[in-house]
Parts: sequence; structure tokens; C-alpha cells
Amino acid sequence: MNKSWIYVALTSFFELVWIFGFNVASEWWHWIPIVFFIFVDFHFLAKACENLPTGTVYAIFAAIGTVGTALMDVFIFGETLGAGKLFFIAILVVGVIGLKIADGVDEKKGLVK
Amino acid sequence: MGWLFVFAAAISELVGVVGLNKYSEQKTFTNTILFGGGFGAAFAFLYMSFNYLQVSTAYAVWIGIGTAGAVLINMLFFGESRSKGRIASLLLIVIGVVGLKALS
Repeated sequence: MNKSWIYVALTSFFELVWIFGFNVASEWWHWIPIVFFIFVDFHFLAKACENLPTGTVYAIFAAIGTVGTALMDVFIFGETLGAGKLFFIAILVVGVIGLKIADGVDEKKGLVK
Repeated sequence: MGWLFVFAAAISELVGVVGLNKYSEQKTFTNTILFGGGFGAAFAFLYMSFNYLQVSTAYAVWIGIGTAGAVLINMLFFGESRSKGRIASLLLIVIGVVGLKALS
């Protein structure tokens, strides 16, 4: 079980890595590690979903990804994020988490998708 | 302009997810193209949107639309329950996307 949560952390981390890469890539060969990190991201996502409910994994993954990119925007890329944007990003993330938790609830009820 | 790319990225991701499901059932050439092509296109469009929009805005909307799109497809075509929780969550995502659009 603990191993699965490590996979969640790893997939979230590599998600942020390739997003960062998308923004700094300037040479053709930069895409080699970026594509590699995307596959690593997917690998850990699949691993995490083996033992944890998919909805839960994805909800956390999406939340960390969104918060992470917002922080990246402000502190690394020097963008400003107004209160309004933060507010609407937060609402959107709550919606994503809500949908994924609903998925998790259905999984526990044994409903077939 | 950037918004077209984000929407295209979200739709491509949905194609990729459908392809992945089909691919896991049967590894045909068509399913491989759907799977690889869908996700490949999603990342390409997302990359292009980053050139026009802030990273955090583009990423949040991509995740939101992708998630909402998957749920809508499941509801409309695969009989997933239309619980109040799901409807409320979909509304939140729509409000978030519209709000970010208005502020950009």
C-alpha cells in the first residue's frame, strides 16, 4: 500500500518535470528526455492504479499537477497569477476531484463501467 | 488561439483514452494508432497552447476538460450514473474554465 502512494508521488513529480520541459525546450534533442519523462509518468500512473482506486489516484495527481504548475508559473517563469485566476483554477480542481471521487465511490459499490 | 489548442488537446486525450481501452482489449493496428495518435496529438496541442497561454491556465483547463469529457462520454454512451455529485462537479469545471477564459 505504501508503495502505491510512492508511485502517486512519483507520477505527480514527473508530470511537473515534463511540463517544465515543454516550457524550456529550445533544441531538438531536448525532446528526447522530455518524451522519456512522459513515458515514466505514465508508467508510475499505471503502477499506482494497480492497488489504489483509479479515481483517487487521478484526483490527487490532477490536484498536485495543477497546484504545481501554478507555483511553477509564479516562481520559475515569473508570471503573475491574480486572485481571480487562482479562484477559478481552484474551482476547476474541486470539480475534477469531485468527479474522480464519484468514480471511486462507484468502484466501491461494485458498479461496472 | 491558445484556447483552440487546449480544447484540441483535451479532445485528443479523450481519443487516446478510448484507444487505450481498445488497445488493452485487442492489440490491432487501428487501436494502436488511436492510442498513440490520440495521446501524441494531445501533447503536441498542449505544447502549442503553452506558447499562447500561461502554463497553469492551460494545464488546469486541459485536465478539467479531459476529466469532464471522459465522464460525459461515460454518462451518455456507457450508462454511468448521473448522480448529483457528478453533475455538481461538472458544473464546477465548466465555471472554472469559463472563468479562466474570461480572465485571459
